[in-house]
Amino acid sequence: MTMLMDPAPSADALALATSVREYLAETHGPEVLRRLDAASGRDPAIWQGLVAMGLPGLMVPEDAGGMGLGLEEAALIAAECGRVCLAEPLVDTAFIAVPWLLAHGDTALLADIAAGNRTIPLPHAINPWVDGGEGLHSVDPLRRLGTAPSDPPTDPHLLNLGALMTAAQLVGLAEAMQDQAVAYAKLREQFGQPIGAFQAIKHQLASCTVAIEFAKPVVWQAAAALAAGRSSAAIHVSHAKVAASDAAWAMAETAIQVHGAMGYTYEVDLHFWMKRTWALCGAWGSRAFHLARLDDAIIGGAHPIGPEHTFA
Amino acid sequence: MKLGFSAADEAFRAECADWLQGQMAGEFADIKGITKLTAKPERRREWEQQLAEHGWACIGWPKAWGGRDATLAQQVIFAEEYARADVPGRVNHIGVELAGPTILAFGSDEQKQRFLPGIAAGKTIWCQGFSEPNAGSDLASVRTRARLDGEEWVVNGQKIWTSLAHISDWIFVVTRSEEGSAGPKGLTFLMMNLHQPGIEVRPIRQINGDAEFNETFFTDARCPADSLIGAVGDGWRIAMGLLAFERGVSTLGQQMGFRNELDGIIAAAKANGAAQDPLIRQRIAQAEIGLRLMRYGALRMLSQTDHSAIGGAALTYKIQWASWRRSLGELAMDVLGQAGEVSAHADYEWDMLPNLFLYSRADTIYGGTNQIQRNLIAERGLGMPREPRGQA
Ligand SMILES: Cc1cc2nc3c(=O)[nH]c(=O)nc-3n(C[C@H](O)[C@H](O)[C@H](O)COP(=O)(O)OP(=O)(O)OC[C@H]3O[C@@H](n4cnc5c(N)ncnc54)[C@H](O)[C@@H]3O)c2cc1C
Repeated sequence: MTMLMDPAPSADALALATSVREYLAETHGPEVLRRLDAASGRDPAIWQGLVAMGLPGLMVPEDAGGMGLGLEEAALIAAECGRVCLAEPLVDTAFIAVPWLLAHGDTALLADIAAGNRTIPLPHAINPWVDGGEGLHSVDPLRRLGTAPSDPPTDPHLLNLGALMTAAQLVGLAEAMQDQAVAYAKLREQFGQPIGAFQAIKHQLASCTVAIEFAKPVVWQAAAALAAGRSSAAIHVSHAKVAASDAAWAMAETAIQVHGAMGYTYEVDLHFWMKRTWALCGAWGSRAFHLARLDDAIIGGAHPIGPEHTFA
Repeated sequence: MKLGFSAADEAFRAECADWLQGQMAGEFADIKGITKLTAKPERRREWEQQLAEHGWACIGWPKAWGGRDATLAQQVIFAEEYARADVPGRVNHIGVELAGPTILAFGSDEQKQRFLPGIAAGKTIWCQGFSEPNAGSDLASVRTRARLDGEEWVVNGQKIWTSLAHISDWIFVVTRSEEGSAGPKGLTFLMMNLHQPGIEVRPIRQINGDAEFNETFFTDARCPADSLIGAVGDGWRIAMGLLAFERGVSTLGQQMGFRNELDGIIAAAKANGAAQDPLIRQRIAQAEIGLRLMRYGALRMLSQTDHSAIGGAALTYKIQWASWRRSLGELAMDVLGQAGEVSAHADYEWDMLPNLFLYSRADTIYGGTNQIQRNLIAERGLGMPREPRGQA
């Protein structure tokens, strides 16, 4: 029996993700989110920092000024963007639009994108608006949404790229909320001990960890399948979107509960992550849409089942 | 056992509905359907007075104190018709449902004279000063100090999450009056006028952008020596009595509001096609079952003549409705899909369903978190061993 695919990211990819994580941890803490929210805007310096790391060009071929890396690396970086609740249109432009343009052999914009001079709002029929536009009020105070064009593309590959990168961001969001909730549970004392000493708190957090840890490999596997152009890629992507949404959603609910009334305020930063989770769970296909794709494939026979496939 | 309302109850229902709907179509049409707790505070105060003038401010209270001696069933009916007529939440619900009943149950005649008429007239708005930064679930660890200084109590400390303090006139405060005491001993329950230099109220913004609760700071704040309910050091018993009002049968009337919310979700699901989705259909069916479960539970309570027997079962209400409604918020968002993310209004204002989602995040927290409710059910209801306490 051969391993068809290896859901663990390569060492190089992980090293890159670690450096991005460290950079973002240093430059994009919660105080940045608060500042952006208060100023109701973007800070060009944040984008310039991402450009300086070469991230807009991550998937742009080297001859167009990029790094020429693939979807697996991009998904790892997308998770890092979720972890810090990044509002810049990096994922949309660099990890969704670029691979889509590449798939269509459309190279005209790539050099500009890699140089950080261009971001691309991406309409798709699955989304009622354009992420990266202007003018609509999202529940996520840092998200910029614009009205969708009347005739948006329906391309399934674009949808898969969008759903995959959204799932990856959700994993990062979930881990960040987990860190915040765990830190709070260790710090906050009631009844003479940290609330984390109560099994009722521990067990909730542990259950979320189980969901997050099992969502991760599904997302990496979807990235690998989509990168390799496997016919099953759409199924893996849907699986990833559902698993990551469920994990992040449960984590958001639990993180608020663990914070008590603090979790219900606009003053504790958790709400930024919760609202991004809410927004992304619905983006690029709802849970119902992705489950329908799964059950169609499983029951309809397009997705082969049985041990020789499940465990292949 | 008969589940349901009597003919007399139904006649009372018609009377409530008639008056409330008339108001919302007439003089108070401008506040109909407001969901935001802080919107139009002046008109909301006028509404409290309007209720009072027509005898609807505190129907569960004794007639002698401006109420109607309404039965529990009638109180539930009034609350239901209130929600059905789309009347906005009451800015004095804490006065009517918590302060009043507590004063009635534990206060002296003189205190009843002093405090009840203002509430019954819809003129004095009350808020609840229980929680502190370090005393949330563990309420007995409050540290706000009260010291008797001649004819007055002098209060120093901080309360937090004080809903509606910014528009209130009075606050009841659980204080530590015995220096060096710990836990439930040495607490005193005081009633204080908020309009004084020693009390400062600062709003706290909530995830839905509203700022319905506050931090309340006491710096040498004062109240007359006879402002306490019960005895000095008896504050815990009074606070627990009040919490029983907060968590218990007074919440039965919420169900009509829940009905409206679920109906809103069903209408949205039909309008946008989500009702075609088998999973959404099942969740709607489950929400309906959950609502009916609460409904029949309520009717069962109401059909019992001896309300003191409700005690044990009443422990189960809070977690039941709070958990149900938190899931309802999630169902609302799954029905709206990506459209739920966007508001048609600027300034972070939300329509009913997104607001339901945001607001219901708090349901499992205030009035005792779900974890605390489970502990209460297990320990008080089932007599199981107490959770071990830390030694800090
Ligand atoms: C919208 C809203 C309005 C409010 N209005 C008022 C008001 O008007 N007046 C007022 O006084 N207060 C008010 N509160 C405060 C409310 O009573 C407290 O939030 C609540 O008691 C919980 O306390 P806390 O927030 O400090 O959370 P904490 O007590 O710090 O709890 C944090 C987490 O630890 C868990 N936990 C704590 N102890 C245990 C335990 N023994 N076992 C297991 N788990 C445990 C909790 O369940 C929670 O998940 C309001 C709160 C909200 C959200």
